[in-house]
Amino acid sequence: MKTIEEINQKIKDGNAVVVTAREMTRIVQENGAGKAAEEVDVVTTGTFGAMCSSGAFFNFGHSDPPIKMSRTYINGVEAYSGLAAVDAYLGATQPHRNPDIGLDYGGAHLLEDLIRGKEVELVAEAYGTDCYPRTDVHTFLSLENLNQATMINPRNCYQNYAAATNSTEETIYTYMGTLLPQMGNVSYSSAGELSPLLNDPYFQTIGLGTRIFLCGSQGYIIGEGTQHATEGERRNGVPVGSAGTLMLKGDMKKMDADYIRGATMPKYGPTLYVGAGIPIPVLNEEIARRTGVSDADIACKIYDYGTPRRDRPAVMETNYEELRTGKIEINGNEVQTSPLSSFKKALEIAEELKKWMDNGEFFLTSPVENLPSSGFTVQPLEIKRPSIMVRDLKSKTAITARAEEAISEVARKMVDNNINHLPVVDHAGRLMGIVTSWDIAQAVAKDSQKLTEIMTKKVIVAMEDEPVEVIARRIDKHEISGVPIVDRNNLVKGMITAEDISRLICSQNNEEGD
Amino acid sequence: MKAWLNFSPSIVSKTVISDLIKNFDVTFNILRADITPKGGKMLIEISGSEAEKGIKYMEKEGIQLNPIKKVVKKDEEKCMDCGECISLCPVKAIKMEEDWSVELDNQKCIGCGFCTTSCPTKAIKIAD
Repeated sequence: MKTIEEINQKIKDGNAVVVTAREMTRIVQENGAGKAAEEVDVVTTGTFGAMCSSGAFFNFGHSDPPIKMSRTYINGVEAYSGLAAVDAYLGATQPHRNPDIGLDYGGAHLLEDLIRGKEVELVAEAYGTDCYPRTDVHTFLSLENLNQATMINPRNCYQNYAAATNSTEETIYTYMGTLLPQMGNVSYSSAGELSPLLNDPYFQTIGLGTRIFLCGSQGYIIGEGTQHATEGERRNGVPVGSAGTLMLKGDMKKMDADYIRGATMPKYGPTLYVGAGIPIPVLNEEIARRTGVSDADIACKIYDYGTPRRDRPAVMETNYEELRTGKIEINGNEVQTSPLSSFKKALEIAEELKKWMDNGEFFLTSPVENLPSSGFTVQPLEIKRPSIMVRDLKSKTAITARAEEAISEVARKMVDNNINHLPVVDHAGRLMGIVTSWDIAQAVAKDSQKLTEIMTKKVIVAMEDEPVEVIARRIDKHEISGVPIVDRNNLVKGMITAEDISRLICSQNNEEGD
Repeated sequence: MKAWLNFSPSIVSKTVISDLIKNFDVTFNILRADITPKGGKMLIEISGSEAEKGIKYMEKEGIQLNPIKKVVKKDEEKCMDCGECISLCPVKAIKMEEDWSVELDNQKCIGCGFCTTSCPTKAIKIAD
């Protein structure tokens, strides 16, 4: 048994034994946890990944005459200034106000620019009061001009996370990166055996006031992060899915741009790559054993992000050793895997933190209060008015055409039923294609005779158990005006059009007005 | 050898590529192609014992040939070695080195550009 005070004395004397979590894994494997606990004083962890829930508080100082800022933009990115007169919070994922720049430059990029020492543009508006008469501000400033630039990240360093794949027929763009169709790739996020909370899975040493490495500076854990969860499934003591989180604080003025990066997940949005490293004092054998965790011991599930719902189906369970080989087998097929977080940077962080302690520049703290290790679950947001499902929508009975029908016959069907879309089916009623009134017009113009020549064969469809919002996005994304509803056997059950959806929204708005 | 071929509008209708393959012992792989009536360009990989002769033939026919060494370029400053691009590469031209840095293999790269559009820091560029 060691105490934090004893370890700090060793750091001061220059004889503390500090190793990275990666080295500790080998030490525990070779010598056992008991011997490792005697020999090693501190294990350093590290992670460098996309942590959307990050941002910073700024205090701009008072202008003359003074202003009470109510809308604030820094380099065109809005910061929330519904605080006192010249304070604002800038969130990493806030896109640029100009839609043409949009996702390419957001809060995350601004935070990086400030830390790089770049000058930024401040624009603020106000309504004007007797004590704060000014109604607008337009100036330039840099990090050194701010009174405070305090990074406060509400949710960082997720304890494990899901891996992602996509079973649909099209490429999708997510916060887990670009996911190819038909489970063409897998992306994963955690730094595995190097990741802070996986090395102290019950938060025996981590808590409020723990001093850490944050983006190249000395920062602090200021409590559990948002969505902190403790009750999930565990394997080898380590949660299988996303569990604990940290709220972190640091002084941007002391940060190093090598350990922070503004990034954009394509067609998703800005996110901040945060470099964090947490020292874990090896106080006893159990802590030594926990820090000895290896990538093979850390399980994680691959989820199908092709389902845009809260509960995504799990495709399979894997572990970080397997993910890190660069490929994995799913249903007999070899699929390439990609990390989203940089393991190289994570290692650099663990090494840097180790160096700080070896040089006597960084001392451990005892947490004022440990992170809660039980009783925390993540509640879903229940919507009082639940989503309307496709099957609940009053859609017209399916009027369909057979592939062998003449174009003129199909045209008559559309006119008689006053519709613009006609799914084409086989003898059993299974979907083969779709024709629209526009296709018919083109067929007449080009003198096509066969329905199979003019129908669209790759049909975008709706399933009965999908929410209407999902279908609305699908219709919008593919720039079409309607989709056939099919069941699991590809049998056509009906048709849902953009008009059906706008009618639904109108009727909902009318109900609200009553 | 990889090279960009630039076609002028006057020869777009000529069957230069098939003549090339017919008349010379070359192996020819078209990696990218963008041909319009106004001319076009094509990224090719050419090898074989008569490759040099084949190239001379193409030049004689009015195709401008610019050999390239690099198809993709990685901005070392911007790249944070996350590896997000790796699983998106259709020809496995991107891999993680032993020191966990991301390496692009210009020999394998076909310049599809999928990695450039998916990179979170826009660190990969297709070389012109």
